[in-house]
Amino acid sequence: MFILRNKLNFLVAIIFLSSCSSMNVTEESVYSGDVSTVKASSYESEYINYDSKAVFANATVYFDFDKSTLTSKSIQTLKSAVNALNDNSSIQITLSGHADERGTREYNLALGQRRAEAVSDYLILNGVNKNRITVKSYGEEKPAVNGQDEISYSKNRRVEIN
Amino acid sequence: MKKLFLLILFSNVTISELILEITQGTDDPYRVAIVEFSGDKDIANNVVQILKNNLRRTGEFVIFSNEDLISTPKDENEIIFNDFKILNIDYLIVGNILNDRSNITAEYEIFDIKRGSKVRSSTVYGIPNKNRQLAHYISDGVYEEITGIEGVASTKILYVTEDDYFRLVVADADGKNEQTLLESSEPIISPSWSPDSKKVAYVSFETGMAKVFIQDIASGKRELVIENSTQISSPSWSPDGKFLSLTMYQDGNAEIYILNLKNKNLTRLTNHYAIDTESTWSPKGSKIMFTSGRSGSPQLYEIDLRKSNAIPKRITFEGNYNAKGSYLPNNEGIVFVHRKNMTFQIALKYFDENFIRPLTDSQLDESPSISPNGNVIVYAIKDEGMGLLSGVTLSGAKFRLPATEGAVREPAWSGFLR
Repeated sequence: MFILRNKLNFLVAIIFLSSCSSMNVTEESVYSGDVSTVKASSYESEYINYDSKAVFANATVYFDFDKSTLTSKSIQTLKSAVNALNDNSSIQITLSGHADERGTREYNLALGQRRAEAVSDYLILNGVNKNRITVKSYGEEKPAVNGQDEISYSKNRRVEIN
Repeated sequence: MKKLFLLILFSNVTISELILEITQGTDDPYRVAIVEFSGDKDIANNVVQILKNNLRRTGEFVIFSNEDLISTPKDENEIIFNDFKILNIDYLIVGNILNDRSNITAEYEIFDIKRGSKVRSSTVYGIPNKNRQLAHYISDGVYEEITGIEGVASTKILYVTEDDYFRLVVADADGKNEQTLLESSEPIISPSWSPDSKKVAYVSFETGMAKVFIQDIASGKRELVIENSTQISSPSWSPDGKFLSLTMYQDGNAEIYILNLKNKNLTRLTNHYAIDTESTWSPKGSKIMFTSGRSGSPQLYEIDLRKSNAIPKRITFEGNYNAKGSYLPNNEGIVFVHRKNMTFQIALKYFDENFIRPLTDSQLDESPSISPNGNVIVYAIKDEGMGLLSGVTLSGAKFRLPATEGAVREPAWSGFLR
């Protein structure tokens, strides 16, 4: 965009203040403002690990507002995840952290990451090899539920294991 | 005498464009008469309509059209100043559109009614099929002449839309003339203009993880700024265009780094177990402001880049959520997202004041971006669950750019383009 096609297209602002009338005289040319459209191809996002899907269907842990600490309920979910991982030592997992829509998007991206890291730390502490784990965050960009109420928000503050 | 000023503007738009609605204006606006321009009638009508809308949107003008006026002079010789004085009009604008098919040229003149004299005589050379641009240039010339402040009608706004796809879109500052820069099946956030407004940086999840890309607007050429296995986000350009501040997650936690765009060297700026993100540069590039959770809740901090090993200085204290700050272009204060009770508002704090000024009052306001003249802030709101863009001027005027299709968010205002 804003490529100047030729020298004439440069802003030619001639402003001269005549001492008696104090009038501005200007002359300028508009820019062309060209734009190109790019289509992103999503090469990894469609990838689904069917092995881990079978083992961890619905394995999601939830968090309190603006918190990344594991609740006792989350720990119960994670205990069975640890067992499943120990029984199936070949599978790799991805931990995707999420936040509700309140607050700024980048802070929520970082918060989702902290939640995923908290789950990762728990799994590693309980004997899961860290090379088997990929940690990432979607922040508030992929809500599980749409809605502006506490019930919806509580379902969106989560880490998905798959 | 305080004048009550309330304007509601209806305009015909094509379906994919944003509609402008002014919901509130300033108390003491300039009273400006705009006589229909002479010359090519269709272009003249179109240009004058855009000019009027642009001026109204600032909240600083009441516009008088032909039907409101006693006389409608075509040029300087026909002006009877008294006809405008009676209506308490401050300025009169007359103009002319010359269309010789290959070139369209607008000429306009501004008269100060109280002084009874011409204060400006301008010519704008257009490009075929870019009459909106021509009108924006006239608007900025008029705004500049009357207020003494550079206008932003000819600037651009980036934003992200979501319906079946996520799109990074660039539009004129009035929300019209939308053009897609990037279309993706995965989210796009945090668009940021290069200081020369020729490139954009943004976060795209197209690889399955947040990554920062830089894209040339005209050519569409783009690059991943850093190739590694962890996520990268929150890009912000230094005012000289040589550096990009970023949030990197290589030790699992959000930390701020500065990337030298020429040699790709990375310098680490923060080192704390809490979240550090949303970095932004001061107008002269000597400081970086960022959001940190180190106090236990998100607050804004500043690092002085001129000092080595400078300790981040906390700059917000009111409330338990202050995030995503930006500096006013004159460096007199900051604009940021502030939580009051459970609502998120856009707030302003001047450095010489010890209190914050809330600018907005809906529920989930976010992503404030300041116009290059420092007068207007565009931000994202949620209305009945739908993302929309709103604007507020520092003088108090509010307007909306509601979407007719899909959710709209993450606005980012360009620099001056004229």
